[in-house]
Amino acid sequence: MTIKSQETTAPHKLTVKGIKKSFDGREVLHGITFDVQGGEFLSILGPSGCGKSTLLRILIGLEHPDAGSVLLDGENITEAAPSKRHMGIVFQDYALFENMTALGNVEYALRFDPTRRARRSQIALDALASLGMADFANKPVAGLSGGQMQRVSIARTLALSPEVILLDEPTSGLDADARLALRSQLKNIQRDHGTTMIFITHDQEEAFALADRVMVMGEGSIHQLDEPLHIVENPADSYVRDFVVANLKAKYDSLARFASPLE
Amino acid sequence: MARQTSSKGMGLLKIALLLFFLLAVVLPLVGMFSRLADPQVREVFGTPAFASACVNSLVVAAITTVISVLAALLMSWVLCRTAIQGKSVFAVLLTVPMLVPSLAHGMSLVYLLGSNGILTNLLHGSWSIYGFPGIVMGSFLYSFPPAFLMIYDVMRYEDATPYQAADVLGIPKPSQFAHITLPFLRKPLISAAFATFALVITDYGVPLMVGGKVTTLPVLMYQNAVGLLDFDTGAAIGFVLLIPAVIDFLVDVLARDRASVRYVSRGFDLKPNAVRDAVGYVAAVIVTLALLAPIATFCMVSFATKYPLDLTPTLASIGRAFTMGAGSYWVNSLFTAFVVSILGTILAYLVAYITARVGGVSARLLHLASVTTLAVPGIVLGLSFALAFKGSLIYGTFAILILVNLVHFIASPYLMAYNSLSKVNKNLEAVGQTMGVGRARIVLDVLVPATADTIAEMFSFFFVNCMVTISAVSFLSTTLDMPLALLVTDLDAQRLVECSAFVSVLILVTNVIEKVVVAAIRRYRHTQQPVSR
Repeated sequence: MTIKSQETTAPHKLTVKGIKKSFDGREVLHGITFDVQGGEFLSILGPSGCGKSTLLRILIGLEHPDAGSVLLDGENITEAAPSKRHMGIVFQDYALFENMTALGNVEYALRFDPTRRARRSQIALDALASLGMADFANKPVAGLSGGQMQRVSIARTLALSPEVILLDEPTSGLDADARLALRSQLKNIQRDHGTTMIFITHDQEEAFALADRVMVMGEGSIHQLDEPLHIVENPADSYVRDFVVANLKAKYDSLARFASPLE
Repeated sequence: MARQTSSKGMGLLKIALLLFFLLAVVLPLVGMFSRLADPQVREVFGTPAFASACVNSLVVAAITTVISVLAALLMSWVLCRTAIQGKSVFAVLLTVPMLVPSLAHGMSLVYLLGSNGILTNLLHGSWSIYGFPGIVMGSFLYSFPPAFLMIYDVMRYEDATPYQAADVLGIPKPSQFAHITLPFLRKPLISAAFATFALVITDYGVPLMVGGKVTTLPVLMYQNAVGLLDFDTGAAIGFVLLIPAVIDFLVDVLARDRASVRYVSRGFDLKPNAVRDAVGYVAAVIVTLALLAPIATFCMVSFATKYPLDLTPTLASIGRAFTMGAGSYWVNSLFTAFVVSILGTILAYLVAYITARVGGVSARLLHLASVTTLAVPGIVLGLSFALAFKGSLIYGTFAILILVNLVHFIASPYLMAYNSLSKVNKNLEAVGQTMGVGRARIVLDVLVPATADTIAEMFSFFFVNCMVTISAVSFLSTTLDMPLALLVTDLDAQRLVECSAFVSVLILVTNVIEKVVVAAIRRYRHTQQPVSR
């Protein structure tokens, strides 16, 4: 296992120490340790069943770890309620409130926040606008396309101005065009709001296209955590070489013959 | 911290609901059947009366099951695979018999085909329907609609693709029916058969009215427990009646899980076929007439001057029925039905929420408890309540009627809510938690609106069943809180035939109004909230 921290002197935004979790006596996370810098885009890459979704649910507090701790800005939040962690989560299946409009979805949680209740419509509209969804504000979400629904779901998270956004395979239900559009929007949000993003995927290309660093997971442990280029140049073990590097190379080779005409 | 308190609240709720099922289902039944430990009680099983009632019940239930299920299959085929006009009208008409008590079906057969029946006199017939023919006919009226719904609801969503493939391969239609349709319908057919059997064998309304000298088990139980106050015999027979219901329950549980209803299915393009449509139309008209003629008869009798001698229409019997107290019984029924529908819907929804969306060991127990009530026939439940709660505060009050109906009918609305809540996105509560919005708010703001149609259906199910039920309540009601459906036998026994018929009409009309109001509210909601998918 090779874990390379970001080489800065700034304190870590998120620190994860020795997280373990078992379900029905089977350990699915074997002591996960890593850290994330403020404003960083971290991709967690692994095949389905490797424990990456469980890790994400532990980070936001939807699951409780058997051992280990989660620190946000140095403060231990392992026991904190999900809503007190200054994090937001976006699910693969959008998890929208289908009886409401796009705007209704985004401003719903703001209704319960006394400090922002009065300005909730404006905040929600701004969040929708930052994802290019302002024109759809008053449309029932049930009628939107997958890509549009996912953008509403991200706007809903963004409206609560979280410091960290967790994305659980947000693009896997979308077609190729919607994927590309969503990718660039995610990068824009990271840039404009300085939000830390943790992005889970099983898609090598997507993980590498977006991330400042990539964390390769397999069977409940971290195989390598490094900048994308370093992983390609120096895979930590045969798993990383086969699952990540070989796969990227195959994708590249299949397209290489188009390289010069495309230029 | 918020998470801690909410899970504590959920734990308390689970315990409260489990206690409810323990007190209202398990303990009364255990109490009742513990009487069987007494060898003297078990002597009932050796009596000739019991043996003949057993045979009668089995014969009636077996014959009715075959007729009802075949007719239900035929009607499902007609409505799904022919191009006849007015399918939706037929679909509604075929379920109308569910809106009247089984007593009324038995009674109407007597008015129509009994020794002084309208048709008997008209055709100078010399037949006798009392006994097996009457019980089978009445039980058919009573059990056809649920059997039809079970098969029709599966058949209408069948995928046309296998048939198109078969057409391309040149497989003849009869073979397609035998090798595609029947295997597809195997599970609903088995479920419908067992459900019909259990429904018929535990009903006392029809055999009480047209049974003549043929006594079935529920009638024997009713005569002993209500007539002779011999609760031991009642309990012993009740135990026997539990057997077919438990078998039906097991079959249903085994068949349900693997029932394959495809969400995406290609509809049937029905090619023009005049012969097929003509046959279908004739069949639909015959079955519909057979189901509705008895209902039309009691509607007619209720407005007759003096049945069967003078059928001139008059409104006199309405006035007389109300002088006999129909009004206050009606209020009793409406009150009970409303309270049960509201409480029952809330209770079933809460339980379904826990089992479908919270999970855990106690959730599995709650699921088992609520589904198991399907296996307890009304008369068994009623007698067990009478024995368990005699002398308690609630005995002889509306509270016990409400409680028994709630328990008796909770399984189906529970399953409706369970299925509906299971389909809603599983991550909504998680999203709520991360945003600081509690479960209760998500339920009220998101899940209830998302499942509003199901909630309306649940309410309607409780309401209609409370209006027509006679089984459980017959052991528990007093003259003060007696429901309207039981007045049918009372007035009939007093030879107030027209009044008795009018009471059935009143129940029918009440249920039709309830159905229409619920449908109107649903339609209004849909126009208010256009969902464009």
